Amino acid sequence: MVMTRTTRVGLAFIVLLLASSSLVLVPQAVAAHILQGAQGGFGSGFAHPLTGPDHFLAMFAVGLWGAQMGGRQVWTLPVTFPLIMVIGGIFGMAGVPLPGVEVGIALSIIALGLAIALAWHPQEWVALGLIAYFALCHGYAHGAELPLSTDPADYAIGFVLATGTIHLLGIGVGLGLNKLASGQVSRGLGALIGIGGLYFLVPALLGV
Amino acid sequence: MFRHFSAFDLLPRVLLTRLRWIGPALAAAGVFAAAAVAYAAKQNSFAAWFLAYALAPERAFPLIGLGIACGLVGAPVFALALALFGLGIASGMATHDWLILAIYTALEGTTHLSLTSPIGYLAIGLALLSGVRLLVWLLPFCAFIEGVTLAVAVFLTDPSLHNSHFIWAPLLAAIWIVVGVALTLQAFRGRWSPIFARIVGSWLVTVGLLYGGASLLPILKPSPPPEDTSLESIRGAELKESLHPPAGPEQFERLQPEPDTFSGGAGRLPPQ
Repeated sequence: MVMTRTTRVGLAFIVLLLASSSLVLVPQAVAAHILQGAQGGFGSGFAHPLTGPDHFLAMFAVGLWGAQMGGRQVWTLPVTFPLIMVIGGIFGMAGVPLPGVEVGIALSIIALGLAIALAWHPQEWVALGLIAYFALCHGYAHGAELPLSTDPADYAIGFVLATGTIHLLGIGVGLGLNKLASGQVSRGLGALIGIGGLYFLVPALLGV
Repeated sequence: MFRHFSAFDLLPRVLLTRLRWIGPALAAAGVFAAAAVAYAAKQNSFAAWFLAYALAPERAFPLIGLGIACGLVGAPVFALALALFGLGIASGMATHDWLILAIYTALEGTTHLSLTSPIGYLAIGLALLSGVRLLVWLLPFCAFIEGVTLAVAVFLTDPSLHNSHFIWAPLLAAIWIVVGVALTLQAFRGRWSPIFARIVGSWLVTVGLLYGGASLLPILKPSPPPEDTSLESIRGAELKESLHPPAGPEQFERLQPEPDTFSGGAGRLPPQ
């Protein structure tokens, strides 16, 4: 099926509208990233990344950015992220202090959004370094709550599976959007993600 | 321009086309069987146990990973890996007591299953992460490790200690998962498969490390210090205790003396 230019622009508009409306509809869950108290098993772990919009946006952006860069980065970014996230997770479990985690998480969304919006294609090691730092912050936040869960194994499996699924979703959407309007839609989505990051940065800085 | 096929040419093609669907058929049958077990779990204790342990995500995820790894290699390596997986299960069954003791002594795991599952996760995850070229060499070895750890986990979760159904049923389910996933992937293998395998490998390594870390690090949270440690506050607490003395055994009904049921009055039987 060949799409006309009008159809493409319309589709792009719908995608942008849906993405922006999703940011407006979920502000209540902003503080849901680091949960307190005992967590459940697989279902709880799987639901956590999907219900925390800050985590969701960052994971989605990782996949989107990898797809935008193309080549090896399509898979090296989503493979690196969980592996480095483990190091942060172990720090969190061990109780090693890591200040500014929430700010780091918010900054990760802004930086990834900006990278996509500007279609920034750095060298692979630069991209992996950035991803590694952000993964450390995200991993720390979740590692701290893992030993509190009633079933750490099932919680970790659910959590990692959901995170990976969001990466794959980002890759899929990115590969699809790259063909639309010479990648402009993808860049627009990146800009929206960056704005979403600002929304998380303000309360993180104010300590709200 | 017609190309003529003899019966001998067509037969392998038909067979191969049919065989291609063995994997998806096995996988679909497995899904239906799992759904049936989930339905029966409300009334049948064995089905409930099977669902909670043999088909738990913790048990199934590395087996799916092993299936993906087997789906990426050729038939000889797949057969070798499957044989070594079986050998690993047999070795684990023969030496499970010694292995459990060794894991507890060496690593001091704090959970019931100790570190059997994380070891399997890491072995399969690292094999998948290594790429297809190295996978061919690593897979048989990792399949053996997964077999051993699976057998130990099955023994540790056997509630009966004498009923062989609790041993064989989860092992057969495990082999079913591995073969079903491997044949399904082989049927639909494409350029995306190695990338997908690496991503799944990173998930397995992540879960293995997180799960292993959570097992090794017990929750050692000190109780919070009292807000006010002054002498007055302690005296206030003593006074409060004297006003509300702690409950004695006479306040609990089940510790009261048994009423005399034969002398009439408060007994449970009506007076004669």
